[in-house]
Amino acid sequence: MKINRFLLLGLLSFSIVACTETADDQKDTIDAEIIDPSSSLNTNFDGKIFSIPSPIQTALLIKSTSKTYYGDLLNPISNADKYNTEYSRALNLGIYGADLGYASLYDQKSATINYLATVEKITSALGLEGAFDKTFMSRYESNITNQDSMMIVVSDAFKNADLFLKNSNRKATSSLILTGGWIESMHFACQLTQKTKSEEFKARIGEQKQTLVTIIEILKEYNKMETNDALIAQMSDLLVSFEEITMNYTYAEPETNAAKKMTTLKHSISFDFSEKTLNDISEKLSKIRTSIIS
Amino acid sequence: MKNLFTIICSLFFASSSLLAQDCETIVANCEKYLNGQSGPQFISDGQVYTAFLDREKAEFKTTFYGGTTYRIAASAGSKEDYVIFTVKDMEGNVLFTNKNHKNSPYWDFKVPQTIPVIIQTELDLDKKVTGCAVMLIGFKQ
Repeated sequence: MKINRFLLLGLLSFSIVACTETADDQKDTIDAEIIDPSSSLNTNFDGKIFSIPSPIQTALLIKSTSKTYYGDLLNPISNADKYNTEYSRALNLGIYGADLGYASLYDQKSATINYLATVEKITSALGLEGAFDKTFMSRYESNITNQDSMMIVVSDAFKNADLFLKNSNRKATSSLILTGGWIESMHFACQLTQKTKSEEFKARIGEQKQTLVTIIEILKEYNKMETNDALIAQMSDLLVSFEEITMNYTYAEPETNAAKKMTTLKHSISFDFSEKTLNDISEKLSKIRTSIIS
Repeated sequence: MKNLFTIICSLFFASSSLLAQDCETIVANCEKYLNGQSGPQFISDGQVYTAFLDREKAEFKTTFYGGTTYRIAASAGSKEDYVIFTVKDMEGNVLFTNKNHKNSPYWDFKVPQTIPVIIQTELDLDKKVTGCAVMLIGFKQ
């Protein structure tokens, strides 16, 4: 009982601190006794931080390298009705989000509208209407002729969805959306490497090892119901192939222009891997994607 | 005893909710740094990085792709110099820290070649000792 009273007192103090911070951000410091390092309240409430590069970046690279639009690379919108669990909806929202970005960049108006409607449908099923609301639609429609602005609008909507999911403690869903987006961008890169034999696409595949490691970590972190077990096993197998890639990195001091608030990196880097490794990665990734979209 | 438990739970959830609200306000602040005065120039990477920091560092790994310019924006409140962020390569070489630039709330990185990086975030303890810190990453080709 005595311990509980102390706990209550601690929580009351914490609430007062939180209220004060919200009401008046001008208070810059907090008394030393409140930030007692032994206090369990001084913890990182958001847990670990993970970062997955945006699939839109890969779509932009594709657009700058290949003038041809390959609609057959996308997950058909007719598949959307199959996804009736939070797990499959979240993964495929990531996939359709990347597809929407790809179709938009190639100015495929009909496909863009269809994929946008599909993204809206799945976000609604996931309870994320707020991210793709009327404001989003209005911004999207007014920027439909400007691809750069359109990418900003779509990415902002996904950022809002990410914030909403994190705030409502649905980080597992957020992590699956990011994973789906990454898988689709890798699918584009692998398929286009085969179609075009472009070294740029091949290089983009070689650069993904760190991201794959992060994805496996994030899937493990938010796997309380063990729903990610099969996907983790598939991704771990994919990582085995990525381990064959050699990264050659040489550090060089970056140049910083303080007036422009800009730092230019000067390092050199290359990723070496064989055709066999590339084929293994493509094959494994294709199986993973097929298991998600079918 | 049951009532006491209920009060504790209520206070805990109320406190968590206030922290989330605090973070949301800071996200809006951080977006201003990402977008700049002339409106959005950078495409968001679609993620919001938040952490409740006391005297420890939050750290994560990401990849900056070649041929891209990135902007990192960070905020922990109404003043723009609360957050220190540092970008390192995988060997631990410091590529940049805003600590050398008056804790600038944003910085741009021109990346000619791809590089996996580690990004560390902490509060400047001379200015703020605890609170929500938000980071956003944007890019343009």
